[in-house]
Amino acid sequence: MGSEPILAAEKLVKTYGRKRALNDFTLDVVAGEIVGLVGANGAGKTTFIEIVAGLVRPEAGRVTVGNVDAVKNPRAARKLLGVCPQETALYPSVTVAGHLRLFGTLAGLHRTALRRAVDDIAQLMQLTEVLAKPAGLLSGGQRKRVQAATALVAERPLLLLDEPTVGADPQTRSALLDVVAARAAAGAAIVYTTHYMPELAELGATVAFAHAGHVTARGSQAELSLDELFPVAAGGVS
Amino acid sequence: MSTLEATGWTSPSPRWAGAARVAALIQVNFGLITREPGAVISRLVQPIVLITLMRPLYVAALAKDGAQAGTSQVVTGMLVMFSLLALSLSAGAILLERILRTWDRLRATPARPIEMLIGKAVPAFALLALQQAVVIGFGVVAFGLHVANLGLLALAITCWALTLMGIGAALGACLRSFSELNAAYDVGGLLLSALGGALVPLAQLPRWAQAIAPASPGYWAMSALRSALLGHPEGTLRAVGVLLAIAAATAALAAWRIGRGWPRSRLM
Repeated sequence: MGSEPILAAEKLVKTYGRKRALNDFTLDVVAGEIVGLVGANGAGKTTFIEIVAGLVRPEAGRVTVGNVDAVKNPRAARKLLGVCPQETALYPSVTVAGHLRLFGTLAGLHRTALRRAVDDIAQLMQLTEVLAKPAGLLSGGQRKRVQAATALVAERPLLLLDEPTVGADPQTRSALLDVVAARAAAGAAIVYTTHYMPELAELGATVAFAHAGHVTARGSQAELSLDELFPVAAGGVS
Repeated sequence: MSTLEATGWTSPSPRWAGAARVAALIQVNFGLITREPGAVISRLVQPIVLITLMRPLYVAALAKDGAQAGTSQVVTGMLVMFSLLALSLSAGAILLERILRTWDRLRATPARPIEMLIGKAVPAFALLALQQAVVIGFGVVAFGLHVANLGLLALAITCWALTLMGIGAALGACLRSFSELNAAYDVGGLLLSALGGALVPLAQLPRWAQAIAPASPGYWAMSALRSALLGHPEGTLRAVGVLLAIAAATAALAAWRIGRGWPRSRLM
């Protein structure tokens, strides 16, 4: 895989009122790499993903996706990435197939390529049996899989997955981890936020630990000490 | 070789991708309306029922102004009032996207904001135009409402539908809950239609109400529709011009509010 980063974020700053959500947040992800972004609630993980996705503008810093400046040209950057939000955002009366076709089309797929992509992701995420069902009639686990499938229906060089397995059943978790691993093997750069370290071990992900709005430690799980992974509890970084 | 080329990735976005995105968004939004048609049916049936029941009263009250005056007043009045109440549909469509968090989900795709707005606007426009066409058509078929100039009437209906879309988009973008929206279209819709002369002819309103009536979009809608029914181009065009200005101002407000975003994205 390439050594030039697909995602390069440098010294990002973002404040909400008096709270500094990101404080010199810096992170690179190269092609084929899965970075597990971990940290307590409020550490800045979601804000970081929102900035990369062009939903929020930082006050300072720089983000590039591929060679595109994601702050100055967010739409061009969005063509290069898929986002799976933490909270389910589906239309209750629209079918699973309708969701996949919509997000596939919005990502630039059409006709044969769209049909093939919808069939493929439905099979991989174990949704083929419920393609004709409205999202409002699905179980919680199925909705989680649809949510992830909308982000994965078009292959993208960068995937941003924000706690995609929270509240998911084992079947959903297993299906998702398989697809994520396969996308990374195909060359996608992946940012995966989670609170479950075993998932990152299963994915062979490197770990970036976020605390108080910046990345305090980065490396493989084996390389990072408990002090680096849990700096507050260990009396480390504040 | 760029970073992306090194990964072997190529963009799937063809030149017509924008049109395909808009078509996909329109299709989904039409689906959202047609799968839950209760509110639409209600807004179509209510004016027809009220026109049928109240027409004799209006005909008797306005007999001195000619045979058509009562019918014209009740049809255009009910049309304006119930199209203002139908703001709940267009505003609700945008508000629902925010509450479901699907709006931010769409914002995270390559879709342009204007494509997302067109996807929302086309079904809402079709619905509002259909409502007006049904009400006018009912007046013509059931009560012999005379249409002097069909072209002017189509223009008036189109511009009023655009104005309603603009107001609806502004409400959907600025309000925070369905409770606020209900209050806005219940109270606002009734007030604006009454001030516009939709319930009681303008000449019968109190002097203070007549003085502030032009501040209501309903006043200009009534004026455009009545002038079109009578075949008066000058009156129709003047009223249509004001309606288009209101449509542009409210659409600009909605675009500004949506572009600015909400305090924090609710996507994640």
